[in-house]
Amino acid sequence: MDINEYLKLQTPPKSYLIESILVTVFCCMPFGIIGIVNASNVESFYKNGDYEGAEEASKKAKRWMIIGLVSGFVFGTLYFLLLMADAFLNFD
Amino acid sequence: MSLDETQKSSGKRFKILIFSIIALILVVIYGLIDPSTSHFFPKCPVKSLTHYDCPGCGSQRAIHALLNFEFREAFRQNALLVLALPYLTLGVFFNLIKKPSENMMRWRNRLFGHHATLIVLGIVIAFAVLRNVF
Repeated sequence: MDINEYLKLQTPPKSYLIESILVTVFCCMPFGIIGIVNASNVESFYKNGDYEGAEEASKKAKRWMIIGLVSGFVFGTLYFLLLMADAFLNFD
Repeated sequence: MSLDETQKSSGKRFKILIFSIIALILVVIYGLIDPSTSHFFPKCPVKSLTHYDCPGCGSQRAIHALLNFEFREAFRQNALLVLALPYLTLGVFFNLIKKPSENMMRWRNRLFGHHATLIVLGIVIAFAVLRNVF
């Protein structure tokens, strides 16, 4: 076994499980759950020795986690701006 | 340390600084203001659309309760969040270890491996269903 293969065996690619759970609880539940499913794919590929598949799944997990994060952030910002606009317009 | 490495680590330090400042501001806001009595906290989009509680509903109120050491109230608002916090902390800790020992890898795979991830998924979905039934 060459050294690169050994290193791969030591550390699976990042599954973004933690981030996905945080997205589920704080930002946007649907995208967070897709993230958790992708996290389980990463570990599944890794366990079966498909390291390229695991890397691929890791990238996908990251993408969904970021989509969830951004959509949650955009929603929160829009909500706040609308409230500010409302408060400003109704101020007398 | 090469110039490239120095730049990289100072960039990382800057990121950590920004992140800490934002976290501190959020802690102060969520600690002092009760999200259930103020209009300025974002409502859950899922709840607004479907009128069902999603697994994240109540997490802002739960954070407010936790920051005021009202653990029972936090649990009542979002039990999933309260239960997830120690697990998430442990996960962050595992992610920080650059060269884990074999024993640590075994624990990592037990707690955050394939089966563990599926169990997490199951818990999240079960929580989503049960909190709307009861």
